[in-house]
Amino acid sequence: MPDPMDDFLRSARAFLDANAEPRGGGPEIEWGSGSDRVAYFSADLPDVAAQKVRAARAWQRRRYEAGFGWISGPAEYGGAGLGSLHELAYAATEAEYAVPDTGVLSVIGLGMIGPTILTHGTPEIRDRYLPSMYRGDTIACQLFSEPGAGSDLAGVEARAERDGDTWVVTGQKVWTSIAQHADIGMALCRTDPDKPKHKGITAFLVDLTAPGVEVRPLRQMSGGAEFNEVFLTDVVVPDDHRLGAVDDGWRVALTTLMNERATVGGGHSGPVADALSLPFLVGLLTANGRLADPAIRRELAALHAAQTATDYLNRQAQRRLQAGQHPGPEASVSKLMYAQNLTRGAHFAADVVGPKLVADTGEWGTFAWSELLLSVPALRILGGTEEIMKNILAERVLGLPKEPGVDPSTPFRELRRSDAGGAA
Amino acid sequence: MTEPIGQEELDELRTGVRDFLAAKAGEEQLHHVVDTDAAYDDAVWAQMAEQLGLMALVLPAEHGGDGYGFAELRVVLEEMGRALLPSAFLSTVVMAASALVRSGDEEAQAAHLPSIAAGKTTAALAVAERSGSWAVEEIATTAERADGGWALTGTKPLVVDGATADLLLVAARTPAGPSLFAVPGDTAGLTRVPLRALDPTRKMARLVFDGTPALLVGREGAARDVVEHVLDLTATALAAEQVGGARACLEASAAYARERRQFGRAIGSFQAIKHKCADMFTRLQLAQAAAAEAADAAGGLPGAPPLGVAAAVAHSVCSEAYVFAAAENIQVHGGIGFTWEHPAHLYYRRAKASQLLLGGPAVYHERLLQRLGV
Repeated sequence: MPDPMDDFLRSARAFLDANAEPRGGGPEIEWGSGSDRVAYFSADLPDVAAQKVRAARAWQRRRYEAGFGWISGPAEYGGAGLGSLHELAYAATEAEYAVPDTGVLSVIGLGMIGPTILTHGTPEIRDRYLPSMYRGDTIACQLFSEPGAGSDLAGVEARAERDGDTWVVTGQKVWTSIAQHADIGMALCRTDPDKPKHKGITAFLVDLTAPGVEVRPLRQMSGGAEFNEVFLTDVVVPDDHRLGAVDDGWRVALTTLMNERATVGGGHSGPVADALSLPFLVGLLTANGRLADPAIRRELAALHAAQTATDYLNRQAQRRLQAGQHPGPEASVSKLMYAQNLTRGAHFAADVVGPKLVADTGEWGTFAWSELLLSVPALRILGGTEEIMKNILAERVLGLPKEPGVDPSTPFRELRRSDAGGAA
Repeated sequence: MTEPIGQEELDELRTGVRDFLAAKAGEEQLHHVVDTDAAYDDAVWAQMAEQLGLMALVLPAEHGGDGYGFAELRVVLEEMGRALLPSAFLSTVVMAASALVRSGDEEAQAAHLPSIAAGKTTAALAVAERSGSWAVEEIATTAERADGGWALTGTKPLVVDGATADLLLVAARTPAGPSLFAVPGDTAGLTRVPLRALDPTRKMARLVFDGTPALLVGREGAARDVVEHVLDLTATALAAEQVGGARACLEASAAYARERRQFGRAIGSFQAIKHKCADMFTRLQLAQAAAAEAADAAGGLPGAPPLGVAAAVAHSVCSEAYVFAAAENIQVHGGIGFTWEHPAHLYYRRAKASQLLLGGPAVYHERLLQRLGV
């Protein structure tokens, strides 16, 4: 009997052959030739970034029209109605081709908010946004974190107040990736401050072109501005743009966050992975005359062992997923290890380059490492700080007791009153 | 090779070994060995062979074994590591028997493997010399032709289970290069000196050969390949043991952190303790992945990485994870963890000894780079 997966892969390959060029096996950056940029975050100028977003939208549309834009989505909203097995198989096949990076659409919008809309949205909202998102027309971002609600995300204070069939939203969101490109945002808002912290939040889809929405770029320590602050001032949101029940937004947010862990933990690829690959690092050591240095060799081996073991972990987790098993704690572990390995790699390269990282001498492959060095602190923070990830592992996997905190039935308004400097 | 068994059977194997070790080799038996310097328990060894068939598991079917691979052996070794089982399993089944198999010497295999598989013979492999690493260049023990056989002269300073093994496999130099020899444990002209060991659950000995009669195993001058392959297998096996040991440490720490109360609350509710346990868990997960990959490579499973690389990665990652977990386990237990009665120090001893046994971090990190051609 023919395997239906074979048919699927055959049609995927036919689509890719007709619409893209093979990538060629080589790494994205190679020691001693081409660009020496070792960037985790993009530092594109606005017009270049906009051009890349257009290319991402166009490629997503082509994928979607060929049936590969939302492989695991239900057919009624434009999905292909297949499983995550097919999705993984398609991704592996597409990786062999040079296609535009669609991360601006897929990581947050299609990876996290799409599944949330599917789970919690009304049929009208699903009809309105899901096909358009997966066709590449609508880019979605998260409006979660606030200046006063980072690790303690359930402490959001942006207010949504009911006004007939609409809600009026006022507040400030921060650390919002891709808001500068996004069309809609999923916002967590306080709807009842007299209820306990987790019980008075509601989730909404906010049209970012609506009056009262202001997106300001937030410059990061690495120099670029990939994140944003989003100010919401009396923004009117129709009630039919609510996700889930009123005051039940925390449960909705958990759906989104569960998908985040899977995304952030992901595999290694791209220029940073290439720069920390063995051939690139051997090139670095050779150029700096350190390949025979026993202390450097030992650190190189330890770094490579940790990276390789992390790859093994990811591969085994993927195999278990493919075998239909539930995802375990591997994604959290993988995320922690990814941050640790990149941090270790950046400092290793800095040790080798030495004073030539202090200032730009113009020499290829030296000062370029400063960009990675200045980016890695973010990896221990974004998508859940290291400390929060460890709390979660300790409490959920190892069964350690929660820290005794405030009584969970305390109304949110009183919590804020008791915080020094906090406003209710 | 026999078809690999499925996950369900692997789980059954694990449960069987775990229950057996809990009943026959629990903390009391462990302390008996540690406190009295007693030999390994022969009765447990016999039952491991007769009731569970553990010695036969990975040995070739044509020589009395069951022909399974490292995927199955890994489960057994994890449980042995978890229980800190004092036993000649690593030396006999992993090190010596693998050397016999890799030598390709059918006669030697037929002579020894069936009896190893049946649990009737224990064996040890003596390679390391000057620095204690397995560098073939460092082998100074010589073999000379004598009376139609060979005579060995030299010293092997650190041999796992060398004092008790019924059969010794010895790497020695002939004009043709490093070669492997078999010497019965009770041969005249062989001096065996038991050593005080950091890890009292794994016995070490010095072997002194003084014109000791020996039989060549495999081709003369062909031991380099045997030594390097068995080194990879031993690292792979140790990695599984290390994962089991590290898991035991994590479970002990987490259990204690849930129970022990200070300042009116369980110490596991403090983030300082939580994060220690989470760090142990993270490293354990990584170690487990590396040990599994190395075992797949040792079993020649399709899609597995090259054994040399996977074994070196596993040895590095699992050694670090175990040493870390064993040290943090003592810290989580506080004062009670520093007492002789508490098993925490036995894990610490085993963890450190396992990390150093095959040469230590400096040596195995260099070995990884060599395996990668760097």
